[in-house]
Amino acid sequence: MKKEKIDRRNFIKLSSLATGSLAIGFMVPGLKALAIPVTECEFFQPNAYLKIDKKGKVTVYVAKQESGQGVDTALPMIVAEEMDVDFRNVRSEIAPYGTMKAGEHDTGGSQSVMTMYASLRNAGAVAKTMLVAAAAEIWKTDVKNCAADNGEVVNTINMQRIKYGDLVCRAALLPLPKTVSLKNPKDFKLIGKPEKRSNVKDVLTGKAKYGLDIKLDGMLYAVAERCPVLDGTLVSVDDTAARKVPGVIKIVSYTGTGAPMHVRAGVAVIATNTWAAIRAKELLQITWDEGKKNKESTDVLFKTFEAKAGSKPQVPVFNKGDVTKFSGKNEISADYAQPFLAHATIEPMNFVAAAKANSLELWGGLQLPDWAVNTIAEVSGIKKENIKLNLTLMGGAFGRRLHFDFAIEAVKIAQQVDKPVKLMWERTEDILHSMYRPANYHRLTANTAGGKLVSWQHHILGTPVSYMTEGPGSKNFDEVNSADAGFWYDVPNISTGYTPVDININRGWVRSVDICVNTFPIECFIDELAASLKKDPLDFRLSLLENRKDYTFGKEPMLLTQSPARIAGVLKMAADKIGYSNKRKPNHFIGLATHAFIFAKAFAAHAIEIEMLEPWKFTIKRVVAAIDCGLVINPDGLLNQMQGGFVFGLTQALKGEITVKDSRVMQDGFSGYELLRFDEMPPIEILVAASTEEPGGVGEVGVSTVAPALCNALAAAGHRPRTLPIRKAGYSWV
Amino acid sequence: MPAYSLNINNKNYTVEADAEMPLLWVLRDLLDLTGTKYGCGVASCGACTVIIDDNAVFACRRTVGNCVNKKIITIEGLSEDGSHPVQKAWQQAAVPQCGYCQPGQMMSAAALLIKNKRPSEPRDQ
Repeated sequence: MKKEKIDRRNFIKLSSLATGSLAIGFMVPGLKALAIPVTECEFFQPNAYLKIDKKGKVTVYVAKQESGQGVDTALPMIVAEEMDVDFRNVRSEIAPYGTMKAGEHDTGGSQSVMTMYASLRNAGAVAKTMLVAAAAEIWKTDVKNCAADNGEVVNTINMQRIKYGDLVCRAALLPLPKTVSLKNPKDFKLIGKPEKRSNVKDVLTGKAKYGLDIKLDGMLYAVAERCPVLDGTLVSVDDTAARKVPGVIKIVSYTGTGAPMHVRAGVAVIATNTWAAIRAKELLQITWDEGKKNKESTDVLFKTFEAKAGSKPQVPVFNKGDVTKFSGKNEISADYAQPFLAHATIEPMNFVAAAKANSLELWGGLQLPDWAVNTIAEVSGIKKENIKLNLTLMGGAFGRRLHFDFAIEAVKIAQQVDKPVKLMWERTEDILHSMYRPANYHRLTANTAGGKLVSWQHHILGTPVSYMTEGPGSKNFDEVNSADAGFWYDVPNISTGYTPVDININRGWVRSVDICVNTFPIECFIDELAASLKKDPLDFRLSLLENRKDYTFGKEPMLLTQSPARIAGVLKMAADKIGYSNKRKPNHFIGLATHAFIFAKAFAAHAIEIEMLEPWKFTIKRVVAAIDCGLVINPDGLLNQMQGGFVFGLTQALKGEITVKDSRVMQDGFSGYELLRFDEMPPIEILVAASTEEPGGVGEVGVSTVAPALCNALAAAGHRPRTLPIRKAGYSWV
Repeated sequence: MPAYSLNINNKNYTVEADAEMPLLWVLRDLLDLTGTKYGCGVASCGACTVIIDDNAVFACRRTVGNCVNKKIITIEGLSEDGSHPVQKAWQQAAVPQCGYCQPGQMMSAAALLIKNKRPSEPRDQ
């Protein structure tokens, strides 16, 4: 194939295989129609996901965006497995934006492996089937006599072999197979074996290009000062002093937007280098109209939560049985609070935009590029088909790049200058103007009778994400979507409700999303109930899990299955490994917590052993995490995700907190918003349940059980923190 | 704008820059050496760590005016081919996840090894 003459995009269409409802991308009309002689072919690309060249080197185009979660390795492994190629001959590339089906570039919710598994197996199998057919053609034998083997096709009659690379040009001429057969997972050779990350060498030599490393001819650099209060407006700017800074090219202002992203009004300095832009920005004299909602605070927010917690929830979520018949009898109640949190990605937000009168070219990391491009088209007035997006590596994302406020800003700035512009958020801006994990508050009330838990009431109060993305009228509450029926403990009478409370602060999705805010209150309260019933916390949990069958709820396409048995399984694994039933050393305490991230079919538990050094000072001696996420593609990637999830979760437990005063965030960098440090990292062991279930996702599941496990250990030692982070209760740690 | 001669990765460069411009932006914006990363700008995260005269230095807080007549090593110059012992160790352990902060982490470790050929692990557990 003469790649220089053929635009890939024109040849990739969508269709479906007869084997199922799966759509795969493939090349149409096929190279036969182009009548390119075999000798001129350079590679064979049967679909949008992969190509193989004449040397047998395979390139897998990864639809999902890489931010450290390892999709650039796990997804190619799936392709390579079905293709039967040596993984050392496989490299991954970011799939060019627009070559995948709508939505397929979307990366979030621990969905990457789950949603790509079937498509990538098919894609690999299609390539293999065609390579085998090409060999059969050469040998003039039936394909039944040919088998794929590690990058070669073997003639099973005479044991002749041909390398894949020598077959690609012939395979490219063949019609796509109507059906392909997939391997029996029992025969997997690659899936399930640990593979190291494929792009590591570029990272280690400084060659890896993240969004912030993009450099274009004539490119200018911009930083911006944003209205300190959300949805405020710019009144005036005096840039006399700023314009005098050498290197400054232009100073521009831009208006804010409402939903979905609530871009703040801003003033941007465009300069020949970042330093000049930063210096000039500091000299800007800006007058903002902060609007009427400029006196809000988290102090008031949490008081409001508390005041409303005793009222009837505004939105009923789930009711089972009748909780009122036990009211006041053997009743226990407790409140739990969790703050706003920032993503604090190490690569601060940035985006590059080059604007022409009727077109845009963009560079940067976006987890939801389709939504971003559609919105940018609306905001910029540029037709969607005239917007070219180049996706880049992300230096961490944790959900921050599901939002694309920074991309809209870059476009608004670039449209005011005739050169490409790289907009960089300084760290201060990154912490001050994030899309924070909603602050939330929980009142849990339960009744026991005859030594058993008979009723459970959960009033969730929170600042909903959807008020920001959809507007204040929204009734989509992420915190409760499936929190209801997905509650994993078997209690005969349940009442769950939600009360949204607004505050003029942006918020969004942060790793361990949606219902995960409920893990901390639920897993702490269940321990409190065990204590009140004088039962062991592990035995008590198991008694509410082990006899409960799997159940499915929700509606297509969000049909979800809760599996109490799998939750019990990981809980027991973690407890056994940490020696839960052994006699504890003096001043040693163990806390447990478990949950399911059922959107990604993943179940996890943490067991944390602490030693109390003083009444309010502890050290974490040991951590065991157990996970059941079905079939594991790359065990090494899974370990990374569980270790990273623990770090994320421990940061939240110990010190993560965004506070608000006068509608302004009070933290503006790593000094105010501290992350876990090396010397705070305890030893962690990770156990993985053997499973042949369909693969789940592992990004979110290993985060939200950390805080409750730690708090349950602290409670066993004497004082239970019910508010995160625990340093607010006066705890310190070494 | 003053001009500065800098020795970076055993090569000489001349840059025109404000004397106060941090080395980080000289490397990234003026010389296209983007392996050195911006993380905080206030010497708290270490993503911008480079080695200057055998010491680990936060490039975000070292002005270009203070880099003359010094030997600057960035991640691009740690080795020609990724063969520095730190890079090899990082590769073997498959350290990077997103990898963004790793150049800084490796430069810190490499600077430690210059001072201490056989560091021991300060662990009490």
